[in-house]
Amino acid sequence: MIGYGQELTKGIWKENPVFKMVLGLCPLLAVTSTAINGIAMGLASLFVIVCSNTVVASLRSIIPDKVRIPIYIIIIASFVTVVDLSMNAWAHQLWKTLGLFIPLIVVNCLILGRSEAFASRNPVFRSMVDGLGMGLGFTLALFMLGTVREILGSGDFFGYPILGSAYNDVLVLILPPGAFLAMGIMLGAFNSLDRS
Amino acid sequence: MTSTLRMVAVLGGICMVAGLALAGVYEITKEPIAYQKKLEVIRSLVAVLPGLDTDPDSFFLDMKREDGSPVRVFRAPGEGGGTVAGAAFEVVAPDGYSGKIYIMVGVLPNGKLGGIEILSHAETPGLGSLIEKESWKGIFRGRSLDNTNFKVKKDGGDIDQLTGATISPRAISGAVEKGLIWFKNNRDAVLDAAAGEKPVTTSGETS
Repeated sequence: MIGYGQELTKGIWKENPVFKMVLGLCPLLAVTSTAINGIAMGLASLFVIVCSNTVVASLRSIIPDKVRIPIYIIIIASFVTVVDLSMNAWAHQLWKTLGLFIPLIVVNCLILGRSEAFASRNPVFRSMVDGLGMGLGFTLALFMLGTVREILGSGDFFGYPILGSAYNDVLVLILPPGAFLAMGIMLGAFNSLDRS
Repeated sequence: MTSTLRMVAVLGGICMVAGLALAGVYEITKEPIAYQKKLEVIRSLVAVLPGLDTDPDSFFLDMKREDGSPVRVFRAPGEGGGTVAGAAFEVVAPDGYSGKIYIMVGVLPNGKLGGIEILSHAETPGLGSLIEKESWKGIFRGRSLDNTNFKVKKDGGDIDQLTGATISPRAISGAVEKGLIWFKNNRDAVLDAAAGEKPVTTSGETS
């Protein structure tokens, strides 16, 4: 058994959901055209994964094995709906920008994956910490990708122009293909850094 | 058998708890969401009829477009009541680069545009989405059917296209022109202050 601290940090580096496990790429590639979108999507996923991990872990002894996946999905979908409604009510602009991708957190395989692989066989608090670490790792990856794409693609950082008008925007980075390019380069960088 | 029953009970129970919890969240967020929607309309009205006093809940008029679809005309009461100082309504550009573009158009009684506001669109980020920039939307202010050829410059008109994106500006300017023509044809009805919802008067005078 590893300590809680390691349980938290493993999601950020050693088992980073994006750079190591390459999970949850759908929202990652779709919404990271700006840094703020990346952070918002990351935090929404963080909330869902912490809550669903906690609930799944606390119910793990009464959930029958044969129907565990439908039950995980119900739990995850409920928390996603809570996020969707709350963002609509209190963070309306962000909600409009992220659009369809908030409901789609339900099918983020990272979240279901943590329920199945971790929360279903670990105590409540440990699962919560695991969710927190994974969520932070995911948020960090989305933020990094969003930052790179926003700065190089539109010359802005958090909506403020930082590169000046002389900079020629690399438009492709804002578009969906640019997400793959940026993602591939970062994945390579992360792995070579990890190996050395 | 008992294991089947147990599955049904656990699954059903969790569904019920989830349903109840979500009903609660829905109730809590219902009002803030309605408020946000209203705020959005107010924001667009302020943008397209600058300086005029508009309230989306009063003094509107439900009318029909040429194709028979319903359109709600938001109106700003004139000084002292009894007149209409400006009208705003939604137009739809069906020919955007990806999907429809919804635009709020504000028109003054003299037929000039108070401004336009993009309500929603799905244009390419970084290209077509530049229609959201104030520097482009602003060029519509003060234009009317008399002083402007509502085509993009590439097509021989007066409206600036955007670098790398001609389709979105072309679609919007076409929709705005259609809106202005509709306003011209329905001017008397739109400017009839006695019709439709009454403005909420704060100082006591009634129209």
